[in-house]
Amino acid sequence: MVSKKTKKLITFQETIFNLQNYWSNHGCLILQPYDVEVGAGTFHPATTLRSLGPEKWKAAYVQPSRRPSDGRYGENPNRLQHYYQFQVLIKPSPENIKKLFLDSLSSIGIDKNVHDIRFIEDDWESPTLGAAGLGWEVWCDGMEITQFTYFQQMAGVQCSPVSVELTYGLERICMFVQEKSNVFDILWNKNGTLYKDIYKENEKQFSKYNFELANIDYLFNAFESLEKEAKNLLLNELPLPAYDHSLKASHVFNILDSRGAISTAQRAGYISRIRDLVKQVGLKWLEEKK
Amino acid sequence: MSEFFLELFTEEMPPSLQNNAKIEFLEILKNFLDEKKISYNKLYYSISTPNRLIFYFKDIVEEFEKKTEEIRGPRVDANKESLEGFLKSKNISKKKIFMKKTSKGEFYFYKIPSTKVSTKKILQENMPFLLQRIKWKKSMKWGNYELSWGRPLKSILCLFNGTSLNFVFYHLKSSNKTFINKDDEIKTRTFKNFVSYKNYFKQAGVIVDDRERKLSIKKNLEKISKTKNFNLNINLKLLDEITNIVEKPKVILCSFNKKFLEIPREVIQLTIENHQKFFPISDKKNNLLNYFFSVIDKEDKFGLIKKGNESVVDARLTDAEYFWKKNKSQSMLKYVSKLENVNYFNGLGNYLDKTKRLKNLCSVISDELLISKEKLELASTIAKVDLLFDLVNEFPELQGVLGGYFAESQGFEKEVCLAVSEHYLPSGLNSRTPKNNYSIALSLSDKLDALVGFFGLDLVPTSSKDPYALRRMAIGLIKLIIENKKSFKLKEMIDYSCQLYNNQSINFDRKSVHTNLSIFIIDRLKNYMKEKGIRLDIIESSLIDFDLNNIFVIFTKADRLNKIIKKQVGIDLIENYKRAFNILNSETQLQNEDYKGSADPALFKSNFEKDLFKKIHDIRKNFTSINLENDYDSQLSLLASLKKEVENFFDNVIVNDNDVVIKKNRLELLKMLCNTFDKYFNFEKIEFLNEKAGI
Repeated sequence: MVSKKTKKLITFQETIFNLQNYWSNHGCLILQPYDVEVGAGTFHPATTLRSLGPEKWKAAYVQPSRRPSDGRYGENPNRLQHYYQFQVLIKPSPENIKKLFLDSLSSIGIDKNVHDIRFIEDDWESPTLGAAGLGWEVWCDGMEITQFTYFQQMAGVQCSPVSVELTYGLERICMFVQEKSNVFDILWNKNGTLYKDIYKENEKQFSKYNFELANIDYLFNAFESLEKEAKNLLLNELPLPAYDHSLKASHVFNILDSRGAISTAQRAGYISRIRDLVKQVGLKWLEEKK
Repeated sequence: MSEFFLELFTEEMPPSLQNNAKIEFLEILKNFLDEKKISYNKLYYSISTPNRLIFYFKDIVEEFEKKTEEIRGPRVDANKESLEGFLKSKNISKKKIFMKKTSKGEFYFYKIPSTKVSTKKILQENMPFLLQRIKWKKSMKWGNYELSWGRPLKSILCLFNGTSLNFVFYHLKSSNKTFINKDDEIKTRTFKNFVSYKNYFKQAGVIVDDRERKLSIKKNLEKISKTKNFNLNINLKLLDEITNIVEKPKVILCSFNKKFLEIPREVIQLTIENHQKFFPISDKKNNLLNYFFSVIDKEDKFGLIKKGNESVVDARLTDAEYFWKKNKSQSMLKYVSKLENVNYFNGLGNYLDKTKRLKNLCSVISDELLISKEKLELASTIAKVDLLFDLVNEFPELQGVLGGYFAESQGFEKEVCLAVSEHYLPSGLNSRTPKNNYSIALSLSDKLDALVGFFGLDLVPTSSKDPYALRRMAIGLIKLIIENKKSFKLKEMIDYSCQLYNNQSINFDRKSVHTNLSIFIIDRLKNYMKEKGIRLDIIESSLIDFDLNNIFVIFTKADRLNKIIKKQVGIDLIENYKRAFNILNSETQLQNEDYKGSADPALFKSNFEKDLFKKIHDIRKNFTSINLENDYDSQLSLLASLKKEVENFFDNVIVNDNDVVIKKNRLELLKMLCNTFDKYFNFEKIEFLNEKAGI
C-alpha cells in the first residue's frame, strides 16, 4: 500500500533538483537555460547545434519555454504561455536509454510499478528547425509527461550518430505527483510558496500583451530586421549570434501568430524563412568545427 | 518436421508499423519457403505485442532436395586464367566441366548434382536478406548503428527445431534468448520452443497473441456494459489500436464530472476516443454518459491509474468547456466580417469572399427547392464563422458541427443550425448524406464553389494525388443529388459560380472549367455507380448522352435496368433492340447510308411490318404520356412488350428484299425501333449474353 507517511510530496524545485542529480549521475553536463525566448527546450543550442556532427554529447538543463498562443490570462487550470521543460540530450543514444528514462521517473515520484506508463507513437517534426525525429509521447495513467525522440534530422542535416532527446513537462509532472488539478496550485517549495505566487500575474499580463496589445507593425518590422541581422552574421561566419537572431525572429513570429496577424497563406512563408536561417546556421556550425 | 519461430524484440512499435511488418514479413518468409520448395504446415501465422513481432511456422521439412543446375562458366575461347578462376570458385576439377554451344557462343558449363540441403542452413544464410526486405512506412536509426528499422531493434530470438538458428543482422546476433521484461531489457531467458515461450509469458500475465488480446478486451468491455446496462458501441478501429499498445490488458470503468455533459457531445467523444484512446459510453437511448472505459496495461492495485485517467479527461474537458463557454457567447453575425482575415485559398479569396459567393449560390438553389430564401441566406452567411472560434481550432475535425451548436445556442432557427452543422457532409463515399433541403442547398453550394474554384485555377487532381480532396467533394455532390432524388441545373449553376468569382475579379476560362469539371463528375459518377453494383456496360450506356443536369435520371435509369437485366423482361427488351440494331449496323456500314427512322407504311408488304409499325407507334405515344414520365420500370416493360411483333417480323420478313426501296423502308422501320429505345437511353453498348445465332 502507498501510505501517506511514506509518500513524500515532491515540490517543483525538488523535481528539478532530482532530475539534475539523476542525469548528472549518469554523466550529463548540467547546463543552464538559454537566455533567449524559445518555444521549447529543443531550441537551446545545447540541443539543436550539439545534435549535429559526430562528437559525443550529454547534457541536461531546464528551459523556460514560451508559447504565446497558449496563454489563457491565468484562467485555465492547464494552460500557460510560459512554462518549464527539463531537457536531456544524449548523443549517440545509449542502448539502455529506455530504462534510464523509466528509472529517472522514480526519482521524481513516479513509481512505474503502480502507474501505467505507455509509449504512444509520436513522430516529431519542427518545421522552423528543419528537424524531424521518431519516438513517443510517454503517458503516465493517460497523461503525457515526456517526449522521447530519436532525432533523425536537424537543421535540414541528417543526424549521424543519432541523438536521443527527452523532454519532461515539469508542470504536468508536478501536478500529477502532487495531485493538483490546477497548475497554479503546484507547491514550488516546502515553505508553501505556490506556482501562482510566482507566475499568475505573468500569465495575465503576457496574455494581454500577446493577444491584445502587441504592436503588429512594430513586430513585422522587427522580424525583417532580425532576419537581416541574422543573414549578415551568417555572411560574417558567425553562426552562434546568427542563431540567436533566428530564435528571436521565431519568437516574434509566435507573438504575431497569437495576435492573429498571420494568415494561413502567410504562415508557411514565415516558417520557411526561419527554417532557412536555421539551416544555414547548422551548416556554418558544422563547417566551423571541421 | 520442425518448427520455426522468430521473435523480433524492439522498443514500443506503433500499431500501424506492427501490423504492416507482421503481414509483410510473414509473406516474405512464406514466399521464400515456397520458392525453395520447402514444405510446411499451412497453419502459419504472425502475432505481436507492442515490443515483440513473432513469426511461426510448423512442420517444416528439415531437409529438402536441391535440383541439379547448370552453371555457365567462361567462353571456350577465353584465356586460361578465367577458366582456372571458375574451377577454383566452384571447387571442382576440369573433368567435371563440359562445353556447350549457346546463342551467344560456346561456353564451359558445370552441372551441380542434386543434393540434400538442410533447411536450417539455408534459413540461416538467408534470414538477414529476408529481414532486409521489410519495407517500413517510416523507419529510423539510433545510436551509432547503420540499421534502419521501425523502432530500435534490440534482440532477435530465432529457433529451428528446438535450437537457435544463428545469423548476424547488422550489429545484432540471433540467439535462443529474449528479454523477458519489456521495460528493463536486462533479464533474458532461453527458450526451446514456441509452446514454452507462450506459456511462460501467459504466466507472467502477457498475452503475446494480439488476436487473443483483442478478444479479451472485447469480452471485458461487454461484460461490464451488460451489468451496467450500457449501450456498448465499440469503435473497432480504436479497439485494434488499443490491442496493439498493451500487452496485459485490463478494462476499468471510469467517470468524469457530469457538468461536462453540457459541452457538445462530439467534443467529448473526440476527447475521450481520439486524444485519450478511451471508450465513451452511452445509455440504451444513446445519450452520452459521464462514463468511459479505459484499457490499462497493469493491475491497478491502488486505484491510482483510474484516478489518473479520470483527472486527464477532466483536465481536457475543462479546457474544452472554457472555449465552449467563451465561443458560444460570441455573436456569429458580428464575427462574419472577420472572415476577411482568414484566407480560403491563394487565388480564391478569403472566407468572407467565399461566404458572399455561397450566399448567392444558395439564393438560386432556394428557388429550385422552393424553400425560404432568407433562412438559407442566413445559414450561408454564418456557415464559416466557426473557423474563427477557438474550439474549432482545438477540434478542426468538428468544423461545421460546432458551428451548428453555436448557432443553436444563439437562437437561430432549427433548419439554419442543421444546415450549418451538416454543410460539410457527405464527406466521402460512405459518409452520411443530409436529407434536409436547407442542408442540401448549403452543402451543394459549398462543394460547387470549391470545385469550380479549384478547376478554375486548374488545380485538377491527378491519378495519384488529390491534395484538395476534390474527388470527395464531387462524390459528395453526386450523393446529395442522387440520394435526395433531386435534379439541379448544375450546368447553369457552374456558369453562375464562375460569374460570382468573376464579380470578385477572379477570372476563369469558363469553357475549360465546364468541360473539365463535366469529365471529372462523369468519372466520379461512374465510380459511384460501380460501388452500387451496376454492370459496367449499363454504366457506359447510361453515360453516352451525359447531361450534368440529369445526374439523378441517368443514375436511376441505369439502376432500374440493372435490376431487371437478368430477368425475362430484361432479356426480352435487350433482344428486341439487338436484333434490330445488328442488322441495321451491318447494313449501315455496307451501304454507307444513314437511316432516319421514318418508314413509309404504304410500302409495307406484310402484316408483320404493319403490326410492328403500329406497336412502335403505340409505345411512343405511351412513353410521352404524363404518367410514365418518371416511371422507368414501366418504360422498360413497354420496350420489352415489343417482343411478339419483333419476333414475328424477323421470323417472317426478309429485310434484304431484292427491291431496294422495300429494303430501305424495312431498315427505316428497324431504325424507328432503335430510336424508340433511345428515348430511354442508348443501348448500343449493352452486352447481350444470350445472343441468338443466325438472325
